[in-house]
Amino acid sequence: MFGTHDERRILWRHMREPVLTAGALLAMLGINVALGATLPFPHVWIVELIVAGAMVVTILLFSMEVRHDPPLVKLFACIGFFWVGILFTMTLVDYLSRG
Amino acid sequence: MSAGASDSAVGVELVSHFATVEQQKHAAVLGMWAWLLTELLLFAGLFLTALVLRIIHPEAVQEAARHLKFWIGATNTVVLIGSSLTMSGAIQLSRLGWQRGMVRFMLATAALGTLFLVLKGYEYYADYQEHMMPFLSDRPYELKDSPPSRLFVNLYYVATGLHGLHLMTGITILLVMTWQASRAGFLTRHQNRIEIFGLYWHFIDLIWILAFPTLYVLNR
Repeated sequence: MFGTHDERRILWRHMREPVLTAGALLAMLGINVALGATLPFPHVWIVELIVAGAMVVTILLFSMEVRHDPPLVKLFACIGFFWVGILFTMTLVDYLSRG
Repeated sequence: MSAGASDSAVGVELVSHFATVEQQKHAAVLGMWAWLLTELLLFAGLFLTALVLRIIHPEAVQEAARHLKFWIGATNTVVLIGSSLTMSGAIQLSRLGWQRGMVRFMLATAALGTLFLVLKGYEYYADYQEHMMPFLSDRPYELKDSPPSRLFVNLYYVATGLHGLHLMTGITILLVMTWQASRAGFLTRHQNRIEIFGLYWHFIDLIWILAFPTLYVLNR
């Protein structure tokens, strides 16, 4: 498929970042799966949520290439997740603070 | 054999209502993001409901979650991360104008998406065998003594079913686009279609990355 040495070199130069991104995502998934399977300490869900959040940020920045997008697209993406943040915070504050 | 380094240049055909190709490409990305954010809010509502159920009925949700196929969910996450990698490969090769390699990466992406659906279908089948479908009136529900667990299990089917529907739509669009992209001259006129579709595919991956911990991991 990628016969010549030059083609393979060019391919690797362009695929290095996607491959590293997939590797990072698999590593973080491994952490979450290990934590979920073993439940090593109380409140492990806090770590699991942080790892899931890191995976989302990795996909946004590297797979969806938001960091290379124009400022308006960056603003859109940030506002979307900010809205979700408001939704989660206000709802969970209510339920978690009930007696 | 070469990677299909094209005889033609890579580019985007300018349509009349844009001043420049750059403006047209930025508008396409922004439009896709606007739609993806509505999708994000849709799924966020479902995930938030799952968390609220977990807070209100912890025992019932944990009991229901014990019937979920944790390892199939984990395997499916690996499959989707792999499909994101092949989609990124298709985008990179489209930028290089390597049409044949790009088409192969697109087919690999569709194959991995299909594998996800097959595994998900098997999971649903196993749930059916275990009487874990409370919405079926002719099949007694396994956890009938735990009414709140019905809420979680029904939510699980709505969230994963909706995600599966998005994935199925994505695979269909991808296969049609692969057929178009295999024709001569596609990358000369429509290269950014691959990029825009890539955003959708990565977003499906992102939603599953959130669904897996919310439904499978946190409730164990």
